[in-house]
Amino acid sequence: MRKDVLIIGGGATGAGIVRDLALRGVECALLEMGDYCHGASGGNHGLLHSGGRYVVTDPPSAMECAKENAILRRTAPFCIEGTDGLFVSLPGDDPSFADPFLKGCKGSGVPAEELTAKEALSAEPGLSAEALRCIAVQDGSIDPFALVQANVDSAREAGAMVRNHCRVTDMVLEGGMVVRVKALDRRSGEILTIVPEIVINAAGAWAPQVAAMAGCEVAMGLDQGSMLVVDGRLCGHVVNRLRPPSDGDITVPNHTATVLGTTSRPAASPEDVAPSRNDMELLLRETSAMLPALRHCRVVRAYGGVRPLPGRGGRGASRTFSLITDERAGNLLSVVGGKLTTYRLMAERVSDQVCNALGARAGCRTRTEPLGPPADEAGGSVALARLRRKYGFKATTVSLADQRMLCSCEQVLRAEAQMVLAGPDALTLSDVMRRTRAGMGYCQGLDCALSLQELMMEAGGTEPLASLTEFLEERERGQALASGDQLRQEVLRRHVLQGVYGLGERE
Amino acid sequence: MSEVLVVGSGAAGLFSSWLLARDGWPVIVVGKGTPSSAMSTGCLRRMPEACHEKALNFLADEGMPMVTGERTGISKLGTPFECWLSPSHSTWGPEGAPGSVTVVGFQGHPSLHPNLISSVLGHQGIRARPLTLPSTLPPDIPLTALFRDEGAWEGVATEVQRTEGGTVHLPAFLSRRDYWRLDWLERQCGRTVLEAVTPLEAPGQRLLDLMRARAIEAGASIWDGRTVTSLTVENGSVRTAIVRGGLEVREMEVGALVMATGGALVNGLGLNGRELVDPFNAFKVLDDGDVLRGGYATKEGRLVSRSGNVVRNAAGAGDCVRAPCKGYGDGLPHAFESAWTAVKALEGA
Ligand SMILES: Cc1cc2nc3c(=O)[nH]c(=O)nc-3n(C[C@H](O)[C@H](O)[C@H](O)COP(=O)(O)OP(=O)(O)OC[C@H]3O[C@@H](n4cnc5c(N)ncnc54)[C@H](O)[C@@H]3O)c2cc1C
Ligand SMILES: Cc1cc2nc3c(=O)[nH]c(=O)nc-3n(C[C@H](O)[C@H](O)[C@H](O)COP(=O)(O)OP(=O)(O)OC[C@H]3O[C@@H](n4cnc5c(N)ncnc54)[C@H](O)[C@@H]3O)c2cc1C
Repeated sequence: MRKDVLIIGGGATGAGIVRDLALRGVECALLEMGDYCHGASGGNHGLLHSGGRYVVTDPPSAMECAKENAILRRTAPFCIEGTDGLFVSLPGDDPSFADPFLKGCKGSGVPAEELTAKEALSAEPGLSAEALRCIAVQDGSIDPFALVQANVDSAREAGAMVRNHCRVTDMVLEGGMVVRVKALDRRSGEILTIVPEIVINAAGAWAPQVAAMAGCEVAMGLDQGSMLVVDGRLCGHVVNRLRPPSDGDITVPNHTATVLGTTSRPAASPEDVAPSRNDMELLLRETSAMLPALRHCRVVRAYGGVRPLPGRGGRGASRTFSLITDERAGNLLSVVGGKLTTYRLMAERVSDQVCNALGARAGCRTRTEPLGPPADEAGGSVALARLRRKYGFKATTVSLADQRMLCSCEQVLRAEAQMVLAGPDALTLSDVMRRTRAGMGYCQGLDCALSLQELMMEAGGTEPLASLTEFLEERERGQALASGDQLRQEVLRRHVLQGVYGLGERE
Repeated sequence: MSEVLVVGSGAAGLFSSWLLARDGWPVIVVGKGTPSSAMSTGCLRRMPEACHEKALNFLADEGMPMVTGERTGISKLGTPFECWLSPSHSTWGPEGAPGSVTVVGFQGHPSLHPNLISSVLGHQGIRARPLTLPSTLPPDIPLTALFRDEGAWEGVATEVQRTEGGTVHLPAFLSRRDYWRLDWLERQCGRTVLEAVTPLEAPGQRLLDLMRARAIEAGASIWDGRTVTSLTVENGSVRTAIVRGGLEVREMEVGALVMATGGALVNGLGLNGRELVDPFNAFKVLDDGDVLRGGYATKEGRLVSRSGNVVRNAAGAGDCVRAPCKGYGDGLPHAFESAWTAVKALEGA
């Protein structure tokens, strides 16, 4: 198969690139080895940065975030909650940090306003009464799964070929150029061969491995971060700690939950995502200093991601991005670093460079072209707003003839799963979950997994036990750390899945 | 004779009350919430060694006869479920494995998933065919809502007769009172009827209803919806208990005590983070770092105080007692065995 451009990796960066290029009329393809968001794009906080976090330590990154934040709120409003954010300092924090912070916001174009203690408490009643200074910024929360899927859908509509569950395995070089790329398609078990003009390595933390297929090197530091999902929305804003970026600084309300994060440690590999018990305790301790209600919350799940940072990585590494070329493979371009928040900008830069090389003239359209409608447009029903929040433009394709619920924790309709199953991307149960949120609630799929699998069978699925086991193992991952009510839930899950259904090992 | 207070009305509490009441003790059972016994499949995965005859007497029921031996059924996922005791329509014996199965489900209702189960059975070499009957019943409403009259049953019989094959695999939704319907259906369509082995639904509740009826018949009083909130222990014996329910708070003298409060799942044992604790702050708990197997320490059935002395008039049974050999989904035999040991200990005292 001939393509002008092949993009390897279906995280936010790759999906952004394939959309940008497709909208410019470039013939392109994207291959992703897992589901979209299999890497860092699924293992992050879901914070749409205002830039505030970086104004003191990393101003270029702060500027990028501020600009992109504004663009995404316009173009992808459906998957963003404009919660706004607060930066608060507590006793013991360096009191002199607030002033350079405010100054940095000004310098980087990050809108910011200091609140009095009274204003802060009335804006965010759960805030610790000990909060000293409080600065309001324009943070938001973003659903990365919905964002990336919308990019994929838009790219497809513009003619791109986008496939998940296709792992790139080999590259063939001739005369210092990649001439053929081979990939294994998990759906069919077949090998796919693509003949590209240009190859883009958007494999995130796997970028060094992909580059190595072409005999190239990409220097990268891998850095693991953990997050906790707690039940319920325990704050209205994104609440950040007003101090130099550190562990346990951020709480993000998203959908039905609040996400606490994050930590930082060197990762051994891109798959080294597992959170530790220490991480969990640290996150609860640090974030509950800002929001005391978090001391008594129900932790539903812990998960982690690996940051692909340029150079040697670590908390100090810049969050901007870079494009890397290597003469050993002249048509391979690697893109590393950046943030979810800046994915579009990265895609624009990469696409500019690609179009330049291809001699294509069309300009970038993603700054204005919408990815989805506002979720709560005037005149729309609440039901439609809920669907839009997850599916953007596709919300109207959910048939409301059968309004029965599939997942009661997350209030997911059977029809939503059916819509997703009718599309080209759902191969596994987890794929359906990422799109619909079925199984993401506090029962972690106990209630809906079988019903979901039945729908998959009706849609022509095979190997139900393998599919269920994979799904339930993934949901179980964060449960090793469960305590209190969530541990009770876990005991119930094991009684049913392991004890009665015989899934997993019987002890 | 002074009263025996049984705390917890799951399998362990009800079996011990039955045993005690039959021996002439005045028994009061205090229970709250849904016991895990009602969440179980209503099947015992192995024989309760020391007391299986007694257990069979206790579970004797004409309307829902139990079968024992090497039994196999089909779980709600389609996987094989092996056990020692089950209701007659849940399992087959060594010679009775079905050659082919029609799996009956109701469209969009989670009671049984015909396509899923048929595929899983197929992988085990059992020929299976899904039969999905139309329905608009919301998933949180039990199937009983579709079966309010004879017509519904006749409809199912007719649909099933249209299919080929041997055994008919049905969702488990019948109460103890309606269990005879399965016999009726079997006669009506001339096919073996097999209920799916199902947790968290009718079968566990049926077992619990049966056990409650038997305990009451034997003379035990059951105080429902009440909680024992504290116990006083003096000179090595439990003396009084506070029982709360609604607006009522009652203090009672305790002659003897059976602690059958269940595991952490039902709040029988407390959880401090991941650590098991005694909510009464009176008895010794051995945790072993395992929520499932940890529980009250016992010596020949009797509870042990926090300082390590045996409590003369208190015994423990069921999930709340430490049992290093217990696995997920098979605690009922242990509930029976430990209840038997507990009663022996108290009667010996
Ligand atoms: C803990 C943590 C918290 C974060 N929080 C935030 C936040 O709140 N806000 C924010 O803006 N940013 C955040 N980030 C940063 C952000 O998540 C990442 O910068 C961004 O998601 C990177 O996207 P990507 O597409 O470059 O990489 P990835 O999402 O990792 O995508 C790479 C993809 O390439 C695929 N791939 C790899 N090898 C192959 C192959 N051989 N064939 C096919 N496909 C392949 C992988 O499966 C993967 O899906 C966070 C990151 C971490 C780790
Ligand atoms: C989903 C599931 C499926 C299972 N399937 C099987 C199976 O197929 N086969 C099998 O053998 N085992 C099975 N088990 C295990 C089995 O159900 C339990 O091991 C068994 O029921 C324990 O009985 P118990 O009487 O000790 O506790 P429970 O049945 O839990 O009863 C304890 C009761 O005491 C109450 N209580 C607690 N504290 C107090 C108090 N202070 N005052 C008043 N009341 C109190 C509790 O609320 C509860 O109602 C299953 C368990 C589950 C959860």
